[in-house]
Amino acid sequence: MKNTTLQRILGVRDFGVLVAAVAVGAFFSIATPVFLTSYNIFNLLRQTAELGIVAMAMTVLIVSGEFDLSVGAIYAVTGVVSGVLASKLGWNIWISALAGVVGALFLGFLNGLLIATTRINSFIATLSTMMVFRGIAMVLSQGQPISFKLEFFMDLFGRAELGGVVPVPVLWMLGWGLVMYFVMHRTTFGIKVFATGDNREAADLAGIKTMRIKQAGFLITSLAAGVSAVISLSFLKTVTPTQGTGLELEAIAASVIGGTAMSGGVGSILGTFIGTFIMAEVRTGLVLLGTDAYVQDAFVGLVIALAVIINVRLSTKKK
Amino acid sequence: MAETPFLAIENVSKRFGSTQALDAVSLTVSKGRIFGLAGENGAGKSTLIKILCGVHHPDSGQIVYDGRAHHPHDPAEAERAGISVFHQEIPICPHLSIAANVFLGPAMPKRGISPDWKMMNRQCLELYRNLLGEEIDPKRLIRDCSAAEKQLALLVRVLSRNARLVILDEPTTALTPPEVERLFKIIRRLRDQGITFIFISHMLEELMELSDSITVLRDGRNVGSLGKEEFDGRALSTLIAGRTLSTKSYRHARKETELRLEVRDLGLPGEFQGVSFTLRKGEILGIAGLQGSGRSAIARALFGAPPARTGEIWINGKRRLIDRPLAAAQAGIGYIPEDRKTLGIFDDLDVKLNLCMAGIDRFSRRGVLDKGELRRVTSGMKDGLSIKMQNVDAPIRSLSGGNQQKVLISRWLALKPDILVMNEPTRGVDVGAKQEITELVKRLTEEGYTFVISSSELEELILLSDRILVMNRGQVAAEFFGGEVTKDQLILAATT
Repeated sequence: MKNTTLQRILGVRDFGVLVAAVAVGAFFSIATPVFLTSYNIFNLLRQTAELGIVAMAMTVLIVSGEFDLSVGAIYAVTGVVSGVLASKLGWNIWISALAGVVGALFLGFLNGLLIATTRINSFIATLSTMMVFRGIAMVLSQGQPISFKLEFFMDLFGRAELGGVVPVPVLWMLGWGLVMYFVMHRTTFGIKVFATGDNREAADLAGIKTMRIKQAGFLITSLAAGVSAVISLSFLKTVTPTQGTGLELEAIAASVIGGTAMSGGVGSILGTFIGTFIMAEVRTGLVLLGTDAYVQDAFVGLVIALAVIINVRLSTKKK
Repeated sequence: MAETPFLAIENVSKRFGSTQALDAVSLTVSKGRIFGLAGENGAGKSTLIKILCGVHHPDSGQIVYDGRAHHPHDPAEAERAGISVFHQEIPICPHLSIAANVFLGPAMPKRGISPDWKMMNRQCLELYRNLLGEEIDPKRLIRDCSAAEKQLALLVRVLSRNARLVILDEPTTALTPPEVERLFKIIRRLRDQGITFIFISHMLEELMELSDSITVLRDGRNVGSLGKEEFDGRALSTLIAGRTLSTKSYRHARKETELRLEVRDLGLPGEFQGVSFTLRKGEILGIAGLQGSGRSAIARALFGAPPARTGEIWINGKRRLIDRPLAAAQAGIGYIPEDRKTLGIFDDLDVKLNLCMAGIDRFSRRGVLDKGELRRVTSGMKDGLSIKMQNVDAPIRSLSGGNQQKVLISRWLALKPDILVMNEPTRGVDVGAKQEITELVKRLTEEGYTFVISSSELEELILLSDRILVMNRGQVAAEFFGGEVTKDQLILAATT
């Protein structure tokens, strides 16, 4: 009975990934004095807001046993639709952005519908919709970036800094994270998501409409893509049809670093949040160290592998 | 016995954390014999087997195999020494042929760098003839084979690699009675060729039918062995359980109660047709039959998984359309599936969520989970059904098979359904837990629950059921009253 406290701490699902985040942070803090400054940490969080939002939604979907490779493309479509409406047709920015997000939800609905009706593996189904959606973004924008004029909207969603310190995208990410955490870990919907991914047949036999759960998952990832696209266009005042390329894989990586099982049924929003943070730590850390931009991706890849190995080791020891 | 034993296990102990899995177990196995090994789940059978094949290493004691000390470091080493284990899950490549599966590995006959199919097929055919005395088509793909044929392919595979001690770990769970007979015939034939077997089964009848002797483990100890002439079901189950189990037939004087369930002309193409029966409150209807006779399909159809295509289901005097599990649940039917692991349990969730998963929305206020209520309901069930667990937040995997089964039963009891459909309610649980589940079913009928039980264990059906439907090739072949039927009557109706 003497080591129960230790066991309890180690038993906490997200402990391993938290240790990894602290270790990576400690490494860069020692390596460069500018790493551990509030400016840098908030900057790092701001840069990772879009990824964080998408990754936390992706966790919901992966836990339910599906993947969405089209989130990056949906992210682009949202931006382009908003851009075309606001800049080319002169619509109000609020309505344009709302239309973009509704468009994103529609694409998520299509993903869910495709998987429900054809029962194709979602990996391959969303790989194809990824290309289709990316094509839509290309056609609508004619392959060109679209700029917005600066408005209050941009401040609210991307550019302002609360108290001159905290960038608003960070707040949006935290808000989204809280909502996702609540949905996933405090509602019956969340439990059904876990059950669906854990053992689909058993979930069906327990009267859970597992296909509905998965479809809801696709809506959540597409909403996340839409929301983060709005944050991105607000911050950058511009959208490109190629934006978000690779976002889906980074989101899956962040989710897995955070302890989400690729086979479904296991995962946590907090873990994914920390997973996203680790990836951001490594990227900014490498920049601060003055690493060549071309080797950064390679390093991030190594970190993903390392973090996942550590996490798997820690979680198997628990059993 | 004067001969030197083929395998001698002497004072082997193994401890996992606080559990003494094996406590100074000694036993000997003679060459060319079928050595039956019985015991409840957790009695130490699997640990012993895993030590034999190098997965675990004993804390103390020694093993002498074929005259030499046997301390395999890993399963590969044990296999080289000629010890092979045969699990319920069969590791084979479904898209390859029988011959390819038999020879897969470094010993595969080759011509140049490509496999020599002709040679392989011929050798495979010969192996089957010599070892099993059977004719097969070696070119058939494994995925087109029945569970029994897959097992035989694996048996031939290990035997072709000079296995001399084959451990059969519950080999019959996926087989139909004729397939079991066939397997037993083959095992006896192989025994007469000098292969030694260790045979593990929960089915005492099978153990007694096949084994030359039976040794019983309980709580990690060898509690006794029976020679063939001493075989007796009662004596064995007493040894296994460590207490006397009641085998009294259960027949209650039944008052005429209200009609709960009426099934009219139910049918599902390819599975069963023309099934009709009625069931009153507090009654138990047993469904017997071979695998594939429609027995299990009827149970599933009552729960809409998958639903019947034709016919009507009336519950409490109202016709209900049961097209999916949710509809069945809403109509007051609960279902305990035949395979706990793949169809029932959520591995990564804790006990309370597993227990409350059916109708989980009851435990929420506007979608927000009420964990206190979950714990309260689970504790209630835990006490009511005496489910053994650390606490309601423990992982479901920490429970024994019998207790997991009780959790699955509670999952539906918590919804207070009128009718509980059970498919193989005691499959894969040990003798003691079987008894407890039987008692539980009896108790629940007294509380007014109505049961439909589909089972391949005839004794269980006879013991519990008020009436028994016997299925044969998708049709109801006979209907018996539980107290009056004998086992051979059921077998006769199911097989002719």
